[in-house]
Amino acid sequence: MRYFLYPGCSMEADARFYTTSLTAVTQALDIELEELPDWNCCGATMASGVIGDAPAQVMALRNLAIAEASGGLDVVVGCSSCYMNLAQANRRFREDPHFRALAEESLAAGGMKYGGGVKVRFVLEMMVNDVGYERIAARVKRPLTGLKVAGYVGCQSVRVLPWEFDDPEQPVVLDKLIEALGATPVPFTHKARCCGSYHNVPQTGIVTACARDILVSAGDADLMVTPCPMCQMNMDGFQSYVNKEFGTKFNMPVLFFTQLMAVAFDLAPATYGLKANIVTPGPVLAPYGVQM
Amino acid sequence: MADANAPSKYDAGFAREVYGLENGSYVKQCMQCGVCAVSCATFQCMDHSPRRLFALVRAGRKDEVMRSNTPWMCTTCLMCKARCPRGIPIVDVMHDLKGLALKEGRVTYPQAAMYQAFWKDMSGRGKMFTAGIMKNYTLKRGLGNLGKMMGLKDFGLKMFSHGRVPLMPPKAPKGKKQLMQMVKKAQELERKGAK
Repeated sequence: MRYFLYPGCSMEADARFYTTSLTAVTQALDIELEELPDWNCCGATMASGVIGDAPAQVMALRNLAIAEASGGLDVVVGCSSCYMNLAQANRRFREDPHFRALAEESLAAGGMKYGGGVKVRFVLEMMVNDVGYERIAARVKRPLTGLKVAGYVGCQSVRVLPWEFDDPEQPVVLDKLIEALGATPVPFTHKARCCGSYHNVPQTGIVTACARDILVSAGDADLMVTPCPMCQMNMDGFQSYVNKEFGTKFNMPVLFFTQLMAVAFDLAPATYGLKANIVTPGPVLAPYGVQM
Repeated sequence: MADANAPSKYDAGFAREVYGLENGSYVKQCMQCGVCAVSCATFQCMDHSPRRLFALVRAGRKDEVMRSNTPWMCTTCLMCKARCPRGIPIVDVMHDLKGLALKEGRVTYPQAAMYQAFWKDMSGRGKMFTAGIMKNYTLKRGLGNLGKMMGLKDFGLKMFSHGRVPLMPPKAPKGKKQLMQMVKKAQELERKGAK
């Protein structure tokens, strides 16, 4: 299986260890991920608010035009926001003739052409639909039996195209993946609620309020996993702010799901990237023989 | 909190102006049920729920809509968009209202400064660079905001000590110039298409 990987800006910066663990895990599953050549920013959540939806979606489509011209492999996306922008632009390009005409003319202004033939895949969806739970379970060499895991899906990936691969409000795919690793997914009502997103800088109180509700909802989980760089950063990096503001004592490690897969697959420890996690998962993973 | 019931100036052209935006005409479809309000992650911080904001648009209350923090509070979590029984892409309407507020120079909210800081940095390099955005944001918000920025010191230091803050900007795409030509063209065509 071969794909283009659209890493997006955060996966080559603050979430570099997501890319590292993803690369290792996909290699172990005989998946080839090739970085999309000359990719650009998807527009994040903010470009649309400044320049408008259509121009921001044209930005996103430039990436798919490159993918089409370079062989047309499916484009795998790890970041929720990148997935939202690429998948939504792609759907609109196919379904809205007015937008399609605008996009074609705009791409041509930069010397590019897109025919709408590329598929945009969320990494979690690719993992469970193309690889499958059984093959993932078969690759597990260090079953995480007894580990209670809160599968925090976050918001944009499951809701941008509702029911494309999961329930937009109570998703199950991540929980099933956790089960395939031998761990136990905990009941978690807030698994698709918002982490507060970009308010972390302009209005930190919004993020701490959202994060507290999510942490409470995760109950007695030993750790949390997520596929989203923004969720990971807010839940991990602002957990001490939650504790300070609300007098709580949360100490919940927040990992990318690919880090937990790398652990369960017993891959080289350098690929886990656990030192990048601010709340250390050391104590909860020690019983499984993981050394930090 | 702004009082939506206080007397205010009625702007007859405002609703039409909003309907002319890319997703603006969806506002006409709103049946005022309020599912958006109960679904919203940041409803408690909003001065008007999305439902109420749409009612204000239809009532031509330009000043209240443009002054409202509602579009800026939106985190794009898409819950309202997934649930709206009339199929209104509420998040996308919020994009338009943010864009209109920026165009009108309504930039008092820190979130507005963040949007501008993001675009200034990103459009210059074709990729996002957090340090560049933070520099723009700090300059835009000025000295009065330094106390708040200091509150983020702990977060920043932890991110740094865990190796998560690149000091060098990412490698810009070779097609950066072409990318901006595409954006410019799309903006022109969008403006031309708007009535």
